[in-house]
Amino acid sequence: MRRVVFSLATFIALAVVSFVGVDALPGDGCTALLGRFGTNAKIDACRQENNLNDSVVVRLKDWSGDLVRGDLGYSIKRDEQVSEIIIPRLRNTAVMAAVAALIAFPSAIVVGLLLGRYPRKRISKAVNQFSVIAMTLPEFVIATVLWLVLSIWIPIFPGVSVMPSNASLLQLLPNVWLPALTLAVVIFAHSMRTMRASVTNVQNMPFVESARLRGTNERKMISRHIVPAALPPVVNVVALDGAWLLTGTFVTEAAFNFQGLGRLAIDAISDRDTALILPIILFGLAVYLVSSILADSLVRVFDPRLRSNNR
Amino acid sequence: MKTLLRFNFLKNRALIFSVLGFHAFVALLAPYLRLSSTDSQDSAALLQGPSLNHWLGTDSLGRDVFSRLLHGGRPSLVIAFAATAISCLIGIVIGSLAALAGGWIDEALSRVIDFMLALPTLILLLLISSFFGQDPLILSVALGLMYASPIARVARSATQTLLARDFIRVARLQGGSRISILFGEVLPNVWRVMFTEVAMQFTWILLAFSSLSFLGLGASPPTPEWGLMIAESRSYMTLNPLLVIAPIMMLASLVLAIQALVDHE
Repeated sequence: MRRVVFSLATFIALAVVSFVGVDALPGDGCTALLGRFGTNAKIDACRQENNLNDSVVVRLKDWSGDLVRGDLGYSIKRDEQVSEIIIPRLRNTAVMAAVAALIAFPSAIVVGLLLGRYPRKRISKAVNQFSVIAMTLPEFVIATVLWLVLSIWIPIFPGVSVMPSNASLLQLLPNVWLPALTLAVVIFAHSMRTMRASVTNVQNMPFVESARLRGTNERKMISRHIVPAALPPVVNVVALDGAWLLTGTFVTEAAFNFQGLGRLAIDAISDRDTALILPIILFGLAVYLVSSILADSLVRVFDPRLRSNNR
Repeated sequence: MKTLLRFNFLKNRALIFSVLGFHAFVALLAPYLRLSSTDSQDSAALLQGPSLNHWLGTDSLGRDVFSRLLHGGRPSLVIAFAATAISCLIGIVIGSLAALAGGWIDEALSRVIDFMLALPTLILLLLISSFFGQDPLILSVALGLMYASPIARVARSATQTLLARDFIRVARLQGGSRISILFGEVLPNVWRVMFTEVAMQFTWILLAFSSLSFLGLGASPPTPEWGLMIAESRSYMTLNPLLVIAPIMMLASLVLAIQALVDHE
């Protein structure tokens, strides 16, 4: 509970800092709309119309009041309500993240378990090398390689997605695969290595040795002793990687021109559309804070030892 | 295939050092190698395959890919070196200062480090680059500041373990001031522990800048830069796949070699 209050306070503080910070950037909605053709008079008129001439404090008050009432604001540049721009793209990113998570996490846990249990197999070493490579390379390289191999050399998936941001789920699905696979490769490597390290760690513990001496068979050994003890650190990483799937997808979405939140963030930044940038930053912050609370409480569920100091 | 599987690329020292040596050689000497110019455009020879004139073919503007490839690491390497130096300087000083001072100073500095770690790095970089222009100097300083916090965190814990050691106690008993202990005893020792962390940071910064270039907000055209080259040539992959494969191989071999060098697993 204390944790939630503290996070909420952090969120509010960061929201204010972000508002003031973004406000201090050279340029606002009006210069973004009028671009280089804007004369001073036109820009002034536009600012007058949209109350941009008020002081920072007044606008911060208006903005936060709107935010509490669920109004994310209005993009002068796009002449659209911010929520109407964000929600379809958020859905696209969420679908992509879900596909990536469904591909990556279960396989990462199984493969990590096998690698930790049988580290001497040649295939284990090969998979391990692959995971180091996948973790080191940036997403745009993984994206380009996957595109080259799975779309051009072996044409399974469409490459660049050509779809409106509010495409129906059926239109969306074929375009989801390549970006989702790219993200899946990254988080697979990450969570698989955590699982492997955790399994290796658990195996050296006395209770595993004692179970082995009692003559526990392999299946029971894994399902009753190793997996329950090895999962807590992995759950933590899964929660944090899950948050990354929603907020860290700029490069991947840009690489496939996927109409999601990351792509929108880059467009908004290139357009210098501050009204649109701010809610996206806040969304990222919120996801980060919620996921770290979630990570800690999930670990508590999976690890009975931590329950006693539950405040 | 079996021998290939058994061969451990990431543990072979000779391979790692020759790859790093190759990159150092190319990055330092590319301008003196009598290559064809990186921006001269040959409109009669667009998107050609490898030939004697153009060893790796030409890109969509008829520029020589081989020459651009050898020059393409330089912008990111320069920025990565500068930013790493800045982040080390700030990170190590703040981290060891926090551990050395203890008390409320440590508490306050740790909170600042935590706050910096929570910042969304890439979006901030995009904002800075978009609003303040794609200036290498600004980008290096921004990258250096943002990547200082992980260094500070590691430096803080490294210093804390160091403080429990006897020679620091001796220095304290001899009446050394905090500042003289910091520069005389702590920094020379922390540096060695920090090397791995710093090398990893270097690759992250390098990749962050390449990603920025890929998104069109890092190196600006017509600068030859691997991330930018990949972005520019992706639409022509079907015509000349070498256009993207070559920069990918360069970038991948460089970062993997650095990672393998410091990864003592």
